[in-house]
Amino acid sequence: MIFLLLMALAGQTATPDALQHLQAGLEARKQHQVEVEITEFREATRIDPRFADAFLNLGAAFMEKHDYGAAITPLKRALELSPELLTAHQFLGFALLAQGYAAEAIPHLERAGAQEALGIAQIQTGQLTEAVANFTAAFPNHPDDPDLLFYLGHSSGLLSKTAIDTLIANHPDSARAHQALGENYLVLRQMSQAEKEYLEALRLRPDLPGLHLELGQVYANSAQWPKAESEFRAEAKLQPGNAEAAYRLGTALLQQGNAHDALVELKRSNELKPEMPETLYSLGKAASLAGENTVAEQSWLKVIELEKNTSIAAQSYFALAGLHRKQGKLTQSQQEMQQFQKLQSTIGPPRSE
Amino acid sequence: MVRRFTRRNFLNYAAMAAATPIFEVKPLRGLDFILQNSPTPRKFLIETMPGGVALFDYNNDGLLDIFLVNGGKITESLRVPENFDRSDPRYWNRLYRQNRDGSFADVTRAAGLANAGNGNYGMGVAVGDYDNDGYPDLYVTSYGKNILYHNNGDGTFTDVTAKAGVAGGGWSVSAGFLDYDNDGHLDLFVTRYMDWDADHNKICGGDWHTYCPPGAFPPTTCLLYHNRGDGTFEDVSERSGITAKKGRALGVAFADYDGDGFTDISVSNDGMQQYLFHNNGDGTFKECALESGVGLTSDGKGLSGMGTAFQDYDNDGRPDIITTVLPRELYALFHNDGDGSFSYDSLKTGLGALTSGSSGWGVGLEDFDNDGWKDLLVAQSHVLENVEKIDASLHYKELPLLALNHNGRFERTDSGVTTALAARGAAFGDINNDGKIDAIITTLGGPPVLLLNRCDNHNHWLSITLRGTRSNRDGYGARVSVNGQTRFATSAGSYVCASDKRLHFGVGSTEKASVEVLWPSGAKQVLNDVRIDQFLEVREPEHS
Repeated sequence: MIFLLLMALAGQTATPDALQHLQAGLEARKQHQVEVEITEFREATRIDPRFADAFLNLGAAFMEKHDYGAAITPLKRALELSPELLTAHQFLGFALLAQGYAAEAIPHLERAGAQEALGIAQIQTGQLTEAVANFTAAFPNHPDDPDLLFYLGHSSGLLSKTAIDTLIANHPDSARAHQALGENYLVLRQMSQAEKEYLEALRLRPDLPGLHLELGQVYANSAQWPKAESEFRAEAKLQPGNAEAAYRLGTALLQQGNAHDALVELKRSNELKPEMPETLYSLGKAASLAGENTVAEQSWLKVIELEKNTSIAAQSYFALAGLHRKQGKLTQSQQEMQQFQKLQSTIGPPRSE
Repeated sequence: MVRRFTRRNFLNYAAMAAATPIFEVKPLRGLDFILQNSPTPRKFLIETMPGGVALFDYNNDGLLDIFLVNGGKITESLRVPENFDRSDPRYWNRLYRQNRDGSFADVTRAAGLANAGNGNYGMGVAVGDYDNDGYPDLYVTSYGKNILYHNNGDGTFTDVTAKAGVAGGGWSVSAGFLDYDNDGHLDLFVTRYMDWDADHNKICGGDWHTYCPPGAFPPTTCLLYHNRGDGTFEDVSERSGITAKKGRALGVAFADYDGDGFTDISVSNDGMQQYLFHNNGDGTFKECALESGVGLTSDGKGLSGMGTAFQDYDNDGRPDIITTVLPRELYALFHNDGDGSFSYDSLKTGLGALTSGSSGWGVGLEDFDNDGWKDLLVAQSHVLENVEKIDASLHYKELPLLALNHNGRFERTDSGVTTALAARGAAFGDINNDGKIDAIITTLGGPPVLLLNRCDNHNHWLSITLRGTRSNRDGYGARVSVNGQTRFATSAGSYVCASDKRLHFGVGSTEKASVEVLWPSGAKQVLNDVRIDQFLEVREPEHS
């Protein structure tokens, strides 16, 4: 890569001696003789101190050697001589970033259009919004790059944390600040503190979407199912088109053995957002408990169709085996049990939550 | 039709409205037992698993006595062969005789039950009259060797383990007497948890430093001993098919679930599939939990099975299975559908809302309010003493769960216990003979807690003691029905405990009872117009 880039630059105006050393350096690069490269490029810069390409190649040779500190001086000199050398900007930006001079690296990386490196530099200088924008822009071209995925997640997380910290610092009494604190406590499974924060948020802004849903999850995680149901119901009333709210309400009702009402909500969730495996699986359970065996069967079959070889598909096979056993369809039940056991042996047994 | 509002109805409704706790926590006068589980930083898994309690009338004076199983001393340097210092009186098992005034006297030494052996860390207890001499005998399980104590009938016991051949070995937990072949002699089933010893202990949880989950250790097999009728037993674990399945067994309960006249065995396994051993009637068993629908939850998930009860909760005459588990699971209630299979009914019965955040151990399906429906009491506490640090929504010490049964649906009610407990075992029985079922709960590092039933709803009751003649003398395995309710005679079930063998029936406002007993011998006995509010002995007809 470096070789191809710099070959194109070779042959520009310079003394013949200097050009000869430049060519010798480029030949050495082909042979991966980095020390010879450095000697030849250095000689070219000595003979012709205004030979920008020689300085650029010398810097590149140090980069190749991972001696980023040594690369900086010749690259800066190259840019003094030829400020439009984009490759020099790119290398200098990389070298400065590698040495921890992120702020100094940024203008060079911007000039070079090196979005990923620029994003990394911006994380270090606290320009998180810009960093996320750069990683996001780079993402479509490298959707599977592990480094990019890491930095995109990392910068987004930092930006999120910073935004929340700012929210809590600047608006500590706002509903959003209490919601954010509630979310933190929910993640930490400190349910009583989470409940307190959500209740305060709701007191301040009772119609804020999402608050009842999250508070419901706090109650669900603490096995306070009637309260969870009440919050999910409030959210479903506030957002009748929210499939998640209907799903959560359905599962809370199911948990309390209220199969008929659960079935209504889970059907509604499925209509709002079809083909969600978890919704379909719970819908099957509610239908089975409510005696609607055809609906149960169809729901679980749909899960299997959607999910194939996953844990929830295995659970659906198990549920179907139970249903068919009760219906006296023993051969079918045995086949489904075999499918369940086969999946268990490959993906492991379903785990308790 | 307008229902006439009688005084009794008024009292019933008034009692419900007041929601007075059913139980009163009563200090046990004269009982100074502390369950020494000896927790150490080494997190030896046995430390968090004891201990049992038995409610039984060892001297036949009509009053229930209490036998408590102790753990033992554990030090950080514990190595194989382990020494639990059981000769130190602090680590003895204890027998407390109930006095006429309701107090208890420690008769351990006089009864010959003082030292359970330095190599044995105590776990559980089973009660049954294995030699049909009219006096209940004790079987004590341990990590180490188990002990069979023969009741001499004079207030003393003799260790007859060696002669009887029932020492077992490894890590035994719960046990129970049953007559699996209906020969009139009580056999013995023992659950064993896992293949573990002090040298192979592990610590889990990283920085949290916790006891390891059961999957960290190899599974093992349960034990079945056949009573030869001459004071000795034969280990038939392999021949009977019991060892065909290895597990991590903790609880065990017995009932004839398919009505074929032979007692079946429900085993709760920790962190895996549960087992149901169907009695084939020819001395062998077939493990059939998966095909019967009691192996996994309705989601196909294994269970952290701890305690188990095998009784009829919905008064359809068929024994159902309830198994207590750890949080994020639900206590599993498997309804017996009568066709040889069960339905997972935890959600339908209300247990989903009551139990998903709790850890259950000892469990009983008993009619605490004498309304004719068996209620649920569970001794609760997490396995890990530091669970709050790991997950603040969970708790090491918990209140017991008391849920009243309203036509097959369970609803939580105040148990009367106000202090959270590190509870393990739970045994049930009418300790003060007032016609109401009491409970006793063991606690790690603490004294047992007596829950004295103070339910004041004026409902009636009938308590039946079976006296087998052709069948085993205790009548274990009999199916007893009173006014449409059914109990399966046993003292086993729960977790590491043995309950009062008397069969207690609440009969509500009914003035007379109709009693039907189907004995293990096959004899059927019907008693009509039986007076209620009495302790009734039913003697098996000696001839068919």
